[in-house]
Amino acid sequence: MTAGRPWLDAAFAAGAVPAAFVPDASGGRSDVTEVAGADVVEGATLAAVPLGAPSWTPAPVTFVDGIQRWAVVGYDGVVPLIHAYVAAAARRRGPDRRLRTVAEASRMAVITSVRELRPAVRRALEAGAETLIDLDDVEPGQPGRALTAAGIRVERLREGVEREVAEPLAPRLGAEEWLVIDGVLSDSTALATHPRAVGVIKSHGAQYFTGDELTRALTIPAGHRTSVFQPKRHGRQPVHSWYLRLWPWQGHDLLYGLLRIEVRAHADSIRRADAVGAWLSAERAPLSTPDARFDRLLYPIHDVETYLRSRAPGDLTGSRGSRLPKTGT
Amino acid sequence: MSDNPSRTVVGRVVATELKPATPHQFHFWTARDTAIGIGAIVRVEDPTDAARVVFGVVTDAFAYSDLATPLHDVVSADGNPERAAGAPTARQEIRLWTAAVLRQFPEEPLQPVPIGQVLVATNADVAQALRMDVYLTGAHPTGIPVGLYTSGGLEAPVYLDSDFLLGPEAAHLNISGISGLATKTSAVEFLLASIFEHFPAHRGRVAALCFNVKGPDLCFLDRPGELTDEDRRRYERLGVTPEPFRRVRYYAPFKPDGVNLNTLRTHPDLVGDVEPLVWGLREALDFAEVLLNKDDIDAKADAFIDFLKDRVVGQDFDDNFGGHHRVETFADLDALFRAILRGVEDSGRGDMWRTHHVATIRKVRNRLSNISTRCKGLVTDDGAVGDLPWGAFEDRSVYVIDVANVDPLGQDLVFARIVSKLRERLEHRNLGVDVIVVFVDELNKYAPGDGPESHVRRMLLDISERGRYLGLALFGAEQFRSQVHRRVVGNAGTQIFGRMDADELATPGYQVLSPATKIKLATLPVGELMVRHPHFTQPIFVRFPRPVVLRGRDGVERFPPAEDLPFEDAIVRQLVRMDRRLKPNLVKDLVASREPEDVRRALAAVRRARPDDVLAYFRTALGSKVAADVPRERLAVPPLSPISEEPY
Repeated sequence: MTAGRPWLDAAFAAGAVPAAFVPDASGGRSDVTEVAGADVVEGATLAAVPLGAPSWTPAPVTFVDGIQRWAVVGYDGVVPLIHAYVAAAARRRGPDRRLRTVAEASRMAVITSVRELRPAVRRALEAGAETLIDLDDVEPGQPGRALTAAGIRVERLREGVEREVAEPLAPRLGAEEWLVIDGVLSDSTALATHPRAVGVIKSHGAQYFTGDELTRALTIPAGHRTSVFQPKRHGRQPVHSWYLRLWPWQGHDLLYGLLRIEVRAHADSIRRADAVGAWLSAERAPLSTPDARFDRLLYPIHDVETYLRSRAPGDLTGSRGSRLPKTGT
Repeated sequence: MSDNPSRTVVGRVVATELKPATPHQFHFWTARDTAIGIGAIVRVEDPTDAARVVFGVVTDAFAYSDLATPLHDVVSADGNPERAAGAPTARQEIRLWTAAVLRQFPEEPLQPVPIGQVLVATNADVAQALRMDVYLTGAHPTGIPVGLYTSGGLEAPVYLDSDFLLGPEAAHLNISGISGLATKTSAVEFLLASIFEHFPAHRGRVAALCFNVKGPDLCFLDRPGELTDEDRRRYERLGVTPEPFRRVRYYAPFKPDGVNLNTLRTHPDLVGDVEPLVWGLREALDFAEVLLNKDDIDAKADAFIDFLKDRVVGQDFDDNFGGHHRVETFADLDALFRAILRGVEDSGRGDMWRTHHVATIRKVRNRLSNISTRCKGLVTDDGAVGDLPWGAFEDRSVYVIDVANVDPLGQDLVFARIVSKLRERLEHRNLGVDVIVVFVDELNKYAPGDGPESHVRRMLLDISERGRYLGLALFGAEQFRSQVHRRVVGNAGTQIFGRMDADELATPGYQVLSPATKIKLATLPVGELMVRHPHFTQPIFVRFPRPVVLRGRDGVERFPPAEDLPFEDAIVRQLVRMDRRLKPNLVKDLVASREPEDVRRALAAVRRARPDDVLAYFRTALGSKVAADVPRERLAVPPLSPISEEPY
């Protein structure tokens, strides 16, 4: 009996073969990967702007992040049966500087090429799975293609859950309350138009500048931001953005300690860029170690992830070693 | 603080491979703000089995954050501690507690603690967890309140089982802690009051005999001290009446002058309650081995002393040289020795007297004659005796023997004789009470773990090992438990710890305690104690109200000891105690120019007889003054024959 997953038992009974393979879990929402451009909206050219000591830290602030876990739990022939879990949470930081959960949501799903399944297995999944996602665009073949496609489905599923958590919060924010989302704002109208919503992007797949501007953007010193710019061809909604360096990159990597910030595309956002940038710089403490992304991962976001990971199903967690009991401990 | 709060969930059991839950220990976490602390009793409920409940006591606590290494805190604050404190987000922290299992329901099969919710204990939970329900209910409850459990937001009375505190199942109590901070004496005073009020009727009569071995500690047990409202509330909660001991009798030897009492309870308003503790030859001879060291007592001397005890003292005795003796006092004994030695010498028939060699007799004479000198004030030459009311000990009474200012030899004699008499009387069930508590402070001095063997230590060991069968319970106190004889502390069924010295806590005897429990012991506030009792599987912390009696220090301030009186005034005071109508001047006239020894002997006679007419008896005992013979002037007697002037 597979605890909590009777659909899987039914699938096995119908001829599917058990498997256990956990792909690397996503650490969070990635930036858009296309080559894009941007219009500088603060000043004539992109410049490095020094940030002073933070003069203001909003209180309260709500931080939103999501996680995804997925694993191949069986095969019907060569068709992988993928079990996915996605979750998102919003944790609010009050005057006591401690985070408490104010909203959360999660989804369980089975992802597979439904049409390739034997009828009995298909019937078992359709009857029992909470959500069945069909990899309808994947041709039969090596399971690698299906896994790649499944990863994208899982990511979309997670993005949906994140929006499900974050969007209802935006209109309910207090007058002084801010909302910080791990990832882009631009794919949500509710978030991208909110005056106190901030997107924090850690991965930098998209290229917005070339030449000297690119050099300036990627080599800004610690404690500096770039001029505010508006990315082109980016998401559904226009946003204003700037780069922010939390830690010195010298001796590490160009992207070390580099964040890209998204806010509402509005003149007020430009006016407040220094204050918001200084505030977010201050969020580098406490350090979010032992996460390897600590140079860009704000501690409250790390906290939300920790919260979500602690509530995720254990059987979808990648195992770093033998799960046999350790001897001599 | 609540008497009986409703059960609220305060935590949850966690078990990992490195920190698993076992049948004897488990771990749980709580919110940062929690009433739980070291010593708190908690209840764990099995989410899958409502009948399964585990009680535990918190023994250790951990707090940590998700900080990977201290260096990361330095880095994130740029090396500035002030900035670290100003970080926008406070790190996640945990309050992780370790608890030792007190009791499981059901008790079989014994299994690891379930991973369930943790709740604060209620009154009923505390009783169950400590197995007090066994002796607090039924036809003959035997609970003796020892203090209030005050952790986890609860205040619940904690009871000791009389059968395990005073016998017969187990007995004895040992209390240790730093002088002045551990409140050892106060704890014993409160516990005695509690025993007197709650000692089960079916166990008979109980009394306490306390040796006051330092200062004025136990000199004011009948005088009320000051209590706060909080103390009174605790007394009420514990069901103990906040009043001083109703019946206290004090005993103290005399000072070497033989008339002033050797105690700090000599204030004129109080000294009347102090009975002299004075022993004579017979009492001293019974415990000669206490007073004479091993070098003195070889087999021959021992045989001769036995001969004196069995055949001489208190009997009409013929010394074989034509002398008749009746030896009642040291003075009589010395007269006998003189007669024997002179007789042997004069007879010229060798060096033996009744199979005893003269050298042995001389040696024993020398040693015994010195006893009344070495223990002056306690042992008298004249045979006067002032003693405890053997056979008439009263229920719920305290007998205080003040030996604080008595020299060590005298203390040895007092301990040895009183404990021996108690044991003897209890064996014959004719002490007057069925159970007696003997309180001895400073066990480091009287029952040390090392050092030469002493009679007092042997007596204390004997009580520890055999007292419970007799109804003789030893309440011992000391500063360093590790330095008290192992069998004395080991036989104590109940052990109490006040604030402890850190060095003492580092000794092997405390290895069973967790580091957190040791720290709590090292910082215990006044009035809080840790209790170990046979029914409790783990040590429990309790608070007790301050004793209602006047503390020794306060007592000597309120009742300053009187200066030693001149000989005549001291005699007057003692006689006036027996007859308040007595006119001091009459007494002074009587004793004027009399030998002090005669006066003391007469006073002792009055004390023994307790006559109606004290003055008349004293006068009779003193006898008439024998005037010194003044040589009469010799009259010249004329020679029968006139002496001629003729020289030839």
